[in-house]
Amino acid sequence: MTVAALQPARNAPAAAPKGLTVANVRLRGVVTALPSRRLDNADFEAQFGPEGVADVVKITGVEHRYWVKDGQTTSDLCFVAAQRLLARLDWAPDSVDGLVFVSHTPDQRCPATACVLQSRLGLSARCQAFDVVLGCSGYVYGLWLASLLIHGGCRRVLLLNGDTSSLLINPEDRATALLFGDAGAASALEHSEGVPPIHFVLGTDGGGARNLIVAGGGFRPPTPDPRRASTFADHHLFMEGGEVFSFALRAVPKLVQETLANAGLEGDQIDALLLHQANRFMQRHIVKKLGLPEARAPMNIDRYGNTSSASIPLLMTTDLATRLTTEPMRIMSVGFGIGYSWGAALMTLDPLSCAETLAA
Amino acid sequence: MSAFYEGLAEIFEVDVKEITPQFDLTSHNWDSLAIISTIALIDECYNKLVDGSVLAQCVFVSDVEALVRLAVAA
Repeated sequence: MTVAALQPARNAPAAAPKGLTVANVRLRGVVTALPSRRLDNADFEAQFGPEGVADVVKITGVEHRYWVKDGQTTSDLCFVAAQRLLARLDWAPDSVDGLVFVSHTPDQRCPATACVLQSRLGLSARCQAFDVVLGCSGYVYGLWLASLLIHGGCRRVLLLNGDTSSLLINPEDRATALLFGDAGAASALEHSEGVPPIHFVLGTDGGGARNLIVAGGGFRPPTPDPRRASTFADHHLFMEGGEVFSFALRAVPKLVQETLANAGLEGDQIDALLLHQANRFMQRHIVKKLGLPEARAPMNIDRYGNTSSASIPLLMTTDLATRLTTEPMRIMSVGFGIGYSWGAALMTLDPLSCAETLAA
Repeated sequence: MSAFYEGLAEIFEVDVKEITPQFDLTSHNWDSLAIISTIALIDECYNKLVDGSVLAQCVFVSDVEALVRLAVAA
């Protein structure tokens, strides 16, 4: 072996980084807003029949969900959540340097809904604001971006997540009509010296784009897809359940293991695994595959449905609210789905100043 | 294959005795929900993940078994 072979390549980093980390970022609080219109499974029986509903519920586990009323948008839900969060934390509007809005259901195609929210929330003109178009993985990506903004010099960042998937579903498609709920969430992050690093693992496989898609509404004419039944319009969300399911089983356990390995931890050293609330059957299967007790991975899909990128903050403000506000916790948030896109964030948290769920 | 057959019987809500290689999936509600359940069952029994679209093309239990053998051999 030559000496040169022992030298690192000239442009290679000195050591391979053990995943992505951002230090000195503290999550201070989370508020989630739910629309007030509640739909129970019985409300769908006239259309799909009791058995048709029961078949889907056996897999998804959704018992009821909340949908927006006419004219109510994701940004309305996020606004209510953000306003309460700012008040609870006593954050002056001019102390917020960044606003990230993560959603598939913005108010308009342009401008970015984040800009509209900056004004509505009375944030200062120094506040940077932008949208990110992601769904099920969007909370983790939002945490990553908000953390990087803080790493880059922002003092305080508001992360807003949510979707009104009820406006995307084909009412004749029972698999999606019964699955999704609407919600909006606000999370507050700020610079704080000495906070342990957040470990991130992020990934993408756009090869799965066609399996979970709203084909219309953009600028590329939709490609006809024989898998879509004739009842599907271009503005409807199409989901190839089996494909998405096998993707999740393939990606998620690996994602959790890799994140743990990067942090040098074992599964039993995390206090809670916050899985995106995608589907009860899928979540149970993933938790079993990981060899974790079910109680370690809280589940609230029965009460709220799949709320896209708001599902992880919603878990924090419901099932985990008491623990998160009273004790330090090490949690792993895991988002996965449409894109395909996925990500995990492992955080060591001091007690949050607030974790609340509101009606909007 | 017994745990696998028991799982299939549960998915199709039939007696386990009815599950044979000749069992016709397509005449027993072989929809996306059954496919999802079968993906999970194969993963549980054989620690292999099969593609939903390939699984959807199976007609008989023997087709599924062939798919599993292929996945196990791969």
